[in-house]
Amino acid sequence: MKTVLAASLIFMAASAPLQDASEEARAQDLMREIRCVACENEPISQSSAPIAEDMRDRVRAMVGEGATDIEVRDWFAGRYGEFVLFRPSGGGLSGWLLWGGPFLLLLLGGAIGLVFARRHGDTQKDVEPEEV
Amino acid sequence: MIEIGHLLTFLALGLSLAQGVFGFMGRRALAGRIALTAFVSMALAFLTLVVAFAQSDFSVALVANNSHTLKPMAYKLAGTWGNHEGSMALWCLVTLGFGAAGAVLMRTGREIFEARALGMQGLLAVGALAYLLFASSPFTRLDPAPFQGASLNPLLQDPALTFHPPMLYLGYVGYSFVFALAAAGLMEARIDRVWAKEARRWGLAAFVPLTLGIALGSYWAYYELGWGGWWFWDPVENASLMPWLIGAAFLHSVIVTEKRGGFAAWTALLAVLAFLFSIMGAFLVRSGVLTSVHAFAVDPERGLLLLLGLIFYGLIALVLFAVRAPRLEGGKGWSGFSREGALMANNIVLVVAALTVLLGTLFPLMAEAAGQTISVGEPYFNLTFVPILVLILAILPVVQAWAWGKADLSHWMKWALGGLGLVLVFAALGVGVFEISLGAAFGLALGMWLIFGALWELKRRAVSLRRVFRLQLRIWGMTLAHVGLGVFIIGAVVETTQRYESTIALPRDGTETVAGWSITLEDVRAIEGPNWYADRAELSIAKSGARATLAPMKRYYPAAQMPTTETAIYKTGTGDLYVALGERRDVDGEARWVFRVYFNPLIDLVFFGVFLMALGGFLSLLPRRRKVGAGS
Repeated sequence: MKTVLAASLIFMAASAPLQDASEEARAQDLMREIRCVACENEPISQSSAPIAEDMRDRVRAMVGEGATDIEVRDWFAGRYGEFVLFRPSGGGLSGWLLWGGPFLLLLLGGAIGLVFARRHGDTQKDVEPEEV
Repeated sequence: MIEIGHLLTFLALGLSLAQGVFGFMGRRALAGRIALTAFVSMALAFLTLVVAFAQSDFSVALVANNSHTLKPMAYKLAGTWGNHEGSMALWCLVTLGFGAAGAVLMRTGREIFEARALGMQGLLAVGALAYLLFASSPFTRLDPAPFQGASLNPLLQDPALTFHPPMLYLGYVGYSFVFALAAAGLMEARIDRVWAKEARRWGLAAFVPLTLGIALGSYWAYYELGWGGWWFWDPVENASLMPWLIGAAFLHSVIVTEKRGGFAAWTALLAVLAFLFSIMGAFLVRSGVLTSVHAFAVDPERGLLLLLGLIFYGLIALVLFAVRAPRLEGGKGWSGFSREGALMANNIVLVVAALTVLLGTLFPLMAEAAGQTISVGEPYFNLTFVPILVLILAILPVVQAWAWGKADLSHWMKWALGGLGLVLVFAALGVGVFEISLGAAFGLALGMWLIFGALWELKRRAVSLRRVFRLQLRIWGMTLAHVGLGVFIIGAVVETTQRYESTIALPRDGTETVAGWSITLEDVRAIEGPNWYADRAELSIAKSGARATLAPMKRYYPAAQMPTTETAIYKTGTGDLYVALGERRDVDGEARWVFRVYFNPLIDLVFFGVFLMALGGFLSLLPRRRKVGAGS
């Protein structure tokens, strides 16, 4: 019972939003991209698990102390592993593949499209008024 | 009763096999009659399951595992498809339903082609029915029968979720018939204008319910899960988004095939892919390969069978495609700056967007196989998926006016300046006056740009106001869909960038202020429903004259031993004040209740925009209007 009481006292003390509105907004954005370690596929902003509460408090505390977004992410990744970030880091081969993949595909698609368009561009005699 | 259903399902399997054989032999009329009979047979089989649920017949294993006598009748009935086996039975029913509908409605005048399409549909039905009967039969008895059932997952006991699976399946499985049409067209190497006219209608018939199904699921997640959001980039949501994107690409590509005979191979490929992505969606959801909040009905062995089915049908289609695509007709010539070019750009972007979702969804799996655990979520999609789609949306108002073959480019400067001006106005107004971020201002400008562009295109086509209401319904459909897209973007941008969330703990008669609303806890009391009991809080909310009462609940379903959140939402006119009841905490001997309070501005526009897209699709599906004044 005592621990419950203690936990809820911490909750009351620390879960209050940060005074500075822009800091609070930044903290909430970070909470949306950090994964709750006790739940399935939920960011800590959405989870009601006690651990998520602690993690939220930690985010607010760090943001309140002036930590940058990157510092907050790094701290969580260092403590709980890369798994905890919904925004995976861009380093390494896999990072390049993940972050660069969509844009590579777009370039590739565009290139194929251009070739295709050029191949069909030679016959322009029969341009009709559009059929509506 | 269900033994009859079991037998009827076997009959449907045999009939589907016959439909396949006679279809591929070119016997159109016979295959059509068999398709109708198979559908009736499966419908009756499904009915026996529904009756078993209605009567709470716990000697049926499926009912015992998923129902309960105290459940309201509507949810007893919905329980039929609220589980793995039942949903697969629904999948079979819809597959056969599309076969029967195709048998009745196909009007291409090409007997062999139609017969083969029915044959292919029969073959798809055989796979689905065999999977149902041999890997996930809903027709199993329990002996002795239990006195009470284990109940349906309480999260699913909800009006929106009652219609979400049938809608989604109408969409997923609707693409099976588009697939069948593509296969039949490829067999005779004829993907032409007649084919496109037919396939487009079926593509719409799948797209509309898929859109509504996704919207219903999103709306449900919004008010039932109590997280305030409406899209979580959850793998299960992504699984439904991928076929939607491919289906949207198909709807644009098939227009080129219908009007100009072009893009034949590409359109056929998209027709095939839309269904393959649908099966993959089912595989991702049903196999549980992805950790997900939606992990209902999980069974890896069944997942493997679904994967094999996906590979089997995928191979058939792709081999057919590889053999026949070189022989397809090319259509009329066109230059890059033309409606063809614009629609091609649309297709490239939509397909890349779908592949981006695929990459983001499967990447954690691949990384896990390589010994790494990572998560891919909202920030990833916001930085990849969103900018890629913005590319095509930004140019849509300009390029939709381009003519077939070769566009008249003399007005492009005007358009470019207009668009740029709109962005500047919004950036100045937004960042300067309303203090929103530059990205949000750009998003709002984009939404307005799309709405303006869609209306401008309507005006351009009608020439005069008098003729606006005489335009073809499909023009109205296109306009509504594009306006809906703009409305959706405005709602999504405002909601995601301007929403406010806060957690408050109130004692009785305590008051806190959130987003300008003062919230007072009047009372918390325990109440009881048919199959649940709950804590129900009564909050009075007030802001400059407006006041209302909100009653969020925390329900507990004893049969399933699960709690659910019933949020309370007050529509303020500019958004939703959204309250979810959390835990009770005792502080210094005083009971306090935790509430999560959200203010979600313009959230209705998100759902309304998607609804407009579905409505636009529906209008495009309606038969062509007769020409006014043509003596009809």
